[in-house]
Amino acid sequence: MIATNTNERLLQIAVLAFGLIAPFLFPAYIQQIALLWIMILFALTWDTMGGQMGYNSLGNIFFFGAGMYICAVVQIIVGGYDVGEYTAAFGAIKVDITDTQYFTGLFIGLAAAAVGCVFLSIILGFFFFGLRGPYFAIGTLGIALAAGELIGAWRWVGGGSGISLPLYPGSDIFPGSADEEGLFFYFLCMASAVATFLFFRWLYKTRFGLALNAIRDDEEKAEGMGIHTMRYKTVAWACSSFFLGISGGLHGNIVHFIEPLEVAFPTITFGIFMVAMSLLGGKGTLWGPILGAVLFHVIKEVTWTHLLGWQWVALGLIIIVNVVYFQQGIVGWLMERFPERFGIRVETDATAQGKGGAD
Amino acid sequence: MLLRKLGFSVAAAALSMSVTTAQAKVEGDTIILGSAISLTGKYSTNGIHTQNGYELAAKLINDGGGVTVDGKKYKIKIEYYDDESTPARGAQLAERLIQQDGVEYMLGPYSSGLTKAIAPVTEKYGVPMVEAEGASRSLFTQGYRYLFAVLSTSEQYLASAIDLAAEQAKSTGKDPAELKVALAFENDPFSQDVRAGVMEDAAKHGMQIVIDENLPRDLSDMTPTLIKVKALKPDLLIISGHSKGAATAARQIGEMAIEVPMIALTHCDAAKVTEKFPEASEGFLCATQWSPTLTYSDDLFGSAADFEKLFKETYEGYDAGVPYQSAQAAAAVMVFADAFERANSFDKDKVRDALSATDMMTFYGGIKFAEAGNNIAKPMVLWQIQDNQYQVVAPPKWASHKLVWPRQAAGN
Repeated sequence: MIATNTNERLLQIAVLAFGLIAPFLFPAYIQQIALLWIMILFALTWDTMGGQMGYNSLGNIFFFGAGMYICAVVQIIVGGYDVGEYTAAFGAIKVDITDTQYFTGLFIGLAAAAVGCVFLSIILGFFFFGLRGPYFAIGTLGIALAAGELIGAWRWVGGGSGISLPLYPGSDIFPGSADEEGLFFYFLCMASAVATFLFFRWLYKTRFGLALNAIRDDEEKAEGMGIHTMRYKTVAWACSSFFLGISGGLHGNIVHFIEPLEVAFPTITFGIFMVAMSLLGGKGTLWGPILGAVLFHVIKEVTWTHLLGWQWVALGLIIIVNVVYFQQGIVGWLMERFPERFGIRVETDATAQGKGGAD
Repeated sequence: MLLRKLGFSVAAAALSMSVTTAQAKVEGDTIILGSAISLTGKYSTNGIHTQNGYELAAKLINDGGGVTVDGKKYKIKIEYYDDESTPARGAQLAERLIQQDGVEYMLGPYSSGLTKAIAPVTEKYGVPMVEAEGASRSLFTQGYRYLFAVLSTSEQYLASAIDLAAEQAKSTGKDPAELKVALAFENDPFSQDVRAGVMEDAAKHGMQIVIDENLPRDLSDMTPTLIKVKALKPDLLIISGHSKGAATAARQIGEMAIEVPMIALTHCDAAKVTEKFPEASEGFLCATQWSPTLTYSDDLFGSAADFEKLFKETYEGYDAGVPYQSAQAAAAVMVFADAFERANSFDKDKVRDALSATDMMTFYGGIKFAEAGNNIAKPMVLWQIQDNQYQVVAPPKWASHKLVWPRQAAGN
């Protein structure tokens, strides 16, 4: 566990300063850095399940897509349209909504996405937390895949034709900027990633965090000690999906056009990336997923530009090297190497070590 | 300390992302057009057809001296990124082309879905985009000012097949309302739009829809649908699923010896069905934006047939025919070249206004944009595969051959 020390404080300030200055310093990269914040959010929320609680979910992308669709539907309704009419392939109505409708729709939509995903996670948790290990992983993967197909068959939300979201109206939030919309969504992405970080940083320090670790280390024992594991697992998943739902709503509006298979439920890209990023940085640590997300995203963007045609090979290679030779991830490795720098006291006395564990 | 170093390396990595900022849209004597195109993924076949069309037109324009703007000759160069056939990636790449590479004129991607994702981006920056592969009607109801499409919209693709079936029924003394229609459409924006057009036309004639299936993307098996077709014996079977769907349909219609008197598809030529499934595909009706047998012509490529000949000489693998995707891609580049010359300027808005005033004849057909940006000067035509050749059978104005009905049963 990382104690709050000056090092961490400095790191937090550095990241925050970068986040605030970057869009003005590199205006051409706003969208890529916005996506980076979403990636950080992905890695953090996945790590709650996979890293802290030991439940490797391959289906967390489900909440991303569900959030995207919930937000879109709310935006359409607030815009004063009938959803079925708006999404009909042939109807192709001309969208005309006021600025107030746009912003009200967006924020209510994001809130609905977050809350809606919490409900979905509670329902799904009820069915899926009976599964352990690889069964849980495959079961959740099934949720994401099935969701894509089901939404694709659901004509009310446009089916496979998808939904073109209302366009961002002109606004004066950032006067003089060439890309107001970009900045607007950039700061929403950053805010949601920072909120995710602060929330989980706090959560891991509470008894709740210890209970999650206890479930990871030995679920039977944890249960035997009186931890209501089902409740803890459900709440943890609900927390993850709360933030994932928001990220989905934001991403849908950044892309403007959403459809089930490639944009909303991209299981083999974003769905896998969130696992790969956490593993790369070091799962079960607070900063590991963030570092993993940054490295992964930068490598991805660079290879996509300069190694066109080899980008997937490069990504595959990273994942293989990571999984085969470097399982603890970067931060995990650093913690092993330099434990004292992370505030972990290495003591020879075995009894002293056991002290912090069980409470 | 260590964590501070980590912080710095994060900042450094981010900095290295911004080595170069926006270059100019016109470098020296070269005009740079940008395009995100599907070089990998499920649309890659058509993505490459499109890219070949862009490249051939650019080459020919450059060989002829280039584009004259303000008394100076400019060459055309196109910058590509691979969008992997996914809309989210396409939107990101459009941002990258415009923001980081400084591109100020865009050529479209392949497919309606990708165009739907990219159009809001080009619109946001006021970058004119001429697209050749996004046919969905909903692209032209959003009030986009910077989007121009050289092709006909998707509800027109197979509508003439319905009319043709109705006429055929009348000529044999049957009421078109008695006709049974089977529909099998891929679940993607383009095919769903084609479906909507077909549904509307079938309703006009009062035809009965006996099968209405949504097929998965990247279609590799449609046996369940074809089994239903065998059982219900429709008079008309309509299938749309890009190239992969057309190839799968042709293969399995042959294997299962489906005997429907009239079968209509999209993307036959892009899927090279006459080459791969010569027997099964005999008698298919194929929607096409363009046919080399049409009598259009221009000064750059000559006639439609000349374009086909040159294309076959330039690229390998097109012996059985040049898909219309390539032809319309080439036409899109011609539209841009024409607009630059008329605008006589590189100002984005002047180019946009010139594009909007386009009224030209090309080997691909007439091009004149409606207020919404779609091309209203060119009809869709319908081919029938007769003796392994694509022949135009509808609409009557362009028909060179008569419809063969019923189609010869597959495999016989």
